[in-house]
Amino acid sequence: MKLLVCIKQVPDMESRFKPNGSGTWFDEADLAWRMNEYDEYAVEEAVRLREQLGESAELTVLSIGPDRVVEAIKKALAMGADRAVHIQDPAVADKDPWQIASIIVAHAREQQYDLIFTGMQSQDRGSAQVGVLVAEQLGLSCATTLVGFSYENGIVTAKRELEGGIKGVARLRLPALVTCQLGLNVPRYPTLPNIMKAKKKEIAALPVDGLLAEPAVAVTTSFHPPAKKGGGVVLEGEVGVLVDKVIGILKEKTAILR
Amino acid sequence: MFLELTEEQKLIQETARDFAVNELEPVAAGLDQSDDRTPMLDNLRKLAELGFMGLNVSESYGGSEAGVIAFSVAMTEIARACASTAVTVSVNNMAAEVIQAIGTEEQKRAYIPRICSGEFTAASFCLTETCAGSDPSGMMTQAFDDGDSYVLDGTKLFITSAPYSGIYVVWAVTDKDAPKGKGISCFLVEAGTPGLIVGKEERKMGQHGSATNEVLFQSCRIPKSALMGKLNDGFRTAVAELAGGRIGIGSLGLGVGLAAMDFATRYTTERSQFGQKISSFQAIQWKIADRYTELEASRLLLMQAAWRKENGKSFAKEASMAKMYATESANRACYDAVQMLGGYGYTRDFPVERYARDARITSIYEGTNEIQRVIISREILRNFA
Ligand SMILES: Cc1cc2nc3c(=O)[nH]c(=O)nc-3n(C[C@H](O)[C@H](O)[C@H](O)COP(=O)(O)OP(=O)(O)OC[C@H]3O[C@@H](n4cnc5c(N)ncnc54)[C@H](O)[C@@H]3O)c2cc1C
Repeated sequence: MKLLVCIKQVPDMESRFKPNGSGTWFDEADLAWRMNEYDEYAVEEAVRLREQLGESAELTVLSIGPDRVVEAIKKALAMGADRAVHIQDPAVADKDPWQIASIIVAHAREQQYDLIFTGMQSQDRGSAQVGVLVAEQLGLSCATTLVGFSYENGIVTAKRELEGGIKGVARLRLPALVTCQLGLNVPRYPTLPNIMKAKKKEIAALPVDGLLAEPAVAVTTSFHPPAKKGGGVVLEGEVGVLVDKVIGILKEKTAILR
Repeated sequence: MFLELTEEQKLIQETARDFAVNELEPVAAGLDQSDDRTPMLDNLRKLAELGFMGLNVSESYGGSEAGVIAFSVAMTEIARACASTAVTVSVNNMAAEVIQAIGTEEQKRAYIPRICSGEFTAASFCLTETCAGSDPSGMMTQAFDDGDSYVLDGTKLFITSAPYSGIYVVWAVTDKDAPKGKGISCFLVEAGTPGLIVGKEERKMGQHGSATNEVLFQSCRIPKSALMGKLNDGFRTAVAELAGGRIGIGSLGLGVGLAAMDFATRYTTERSQFGQKISSFQAIQWKIADRYTELEASRLLLMQAAWRKENGKSFAKEASMAKMYATESANRACYDAVQMLGGYGYTRDFPVERYARDARITSIYEGTNEIQRVIISREILRNFA
């Protein structure tokens, strides 16, 4: 059984963010990076399934981005993934979720994965689109926001978090894709020997150029808050006059007095 | 010149930081104030499972083989949350390393994996005695050759982790007529050996989670195979291994200093007096500038010493410089952190008073900073003689 987990490297959320030069993203200089939190749940769940299935399964971890994402890839390898695909893209932040999904699909289509895990969303962009778009493009059955997962005999049982604290259960036949939510599991710490051994696992590096055919569908516009108009009215005059003016304003502009 | 950690080192740092924040920090204040060490002993076991007890030990003995730089950054992260846990981890690593350095193959196979895996909660390094502190060559504990065994007699003092150690690395005099420092040998004594008695625990100023005890040897009989390294050559080993341990203690000091300054600095951006944040006062700003500069310099000295050790270069002088500078910077950082919090800094409602007490010992153990200066100046003067 071929398993894939897709991960993104995001800035440490404790960072101080500054807008970048083009004003469409944050400045990436001087940030500390780590694996997207939701992807850690995805990796943990995928590794547990890999352990459940034993040698009959192989778990690949995939990440798109510049060289720095190799650190996140190595963490997933240290947690228990077998091999990795690094799709090299220094300009990953300029791509919209549709393009990111298309890149994953371009790789995954020929690999014929049986089950794909992704995070529910990324902590920085938060679109929650990539997983479902991959499933849609590959024609996989799909369940989102998993807080429970089990697998037996070709069937995934997914406990999903719905709106308003309600949970739902979905059963999916393979091939399938699931997106993972907080509460699904507690990700393991990678052990130090495994961090060192991950060095020896294969990381296939693929340039993004050969994999991206789709144009962006998201429209990026840039706007600024309108210039601040006068900041309030100063009322003058005798107390009686002032009270009348205040009552007039409250009646006219607010719902307090009718 | 390359000053960036490798990906593996960064991941180890991240793992140590995550573990420290999630598991160590929540119990650190409690460990400081109660006699119940259970939370620390539990965390030591988990740290062992993650591979933190043999960072610089070969994989074939159950170590992580991650190197000295990784050891240093891990120690700093652990100490940011809990200095007591950190010193235990440091001593365990030192014990595993000394066995790896001079033990026989049987000794390595018998003990290192049990330190690394956490089967032994801790390991102890027994050098100091009442009359032999800065000058350990003046030790009185003796090991008598009794045919097929040695018999240990004497008392060690200030032994970290003694009540929960599985294995004690013990130095004793084997030739009392030899010139000073030449007649000392090193032994491995298992916990539970008859005649090994863990004595009274010191009541200390800080690092309360970590036990510091007297260890008595009363006609303690150990097999001949317990000798580690060459007979009468043990003192040289002790000196060499302490140099490595100094990187650990310097890194520990750095962690405590950073914790204190990070807490205090954040506090000054929240506390107002005279109608403004106290961080707007230059007197506060200069403390921030001075202390962080020193901590950063400490980090670089530590990285240099660790890098030299990792790459097989001489590192004793650099380790002493790093230990001395980092632990003194840490003490200054803690002193100023208390000052920056004013009266609140002196109360137990805030962690900086604990940091200040925990940091205080770092300029004393693993060789006092006066002794570090003796070593540093001796190494330098040698080039001028
Ligand atoms: C919490 C704690 C944990 C410890 N853990 C261990 C352990 O696990 N194993 C172990 O073996 N030991 C341990 N020690 C012992 C520690 O290493 C010694 O306390 C330390 O080496 C200093 O020895 P001393 O206390 O006898 O001080 P002394 O040697 O008596 O020193 C007193 C003062 O004299 C100064 N001095 C001494 N000689 C010189 C000199 N030549 N030049 C200038 N100044 C000098 C010292 O720097 C110091 O300021 C621990 C101590 C403590 C407090």
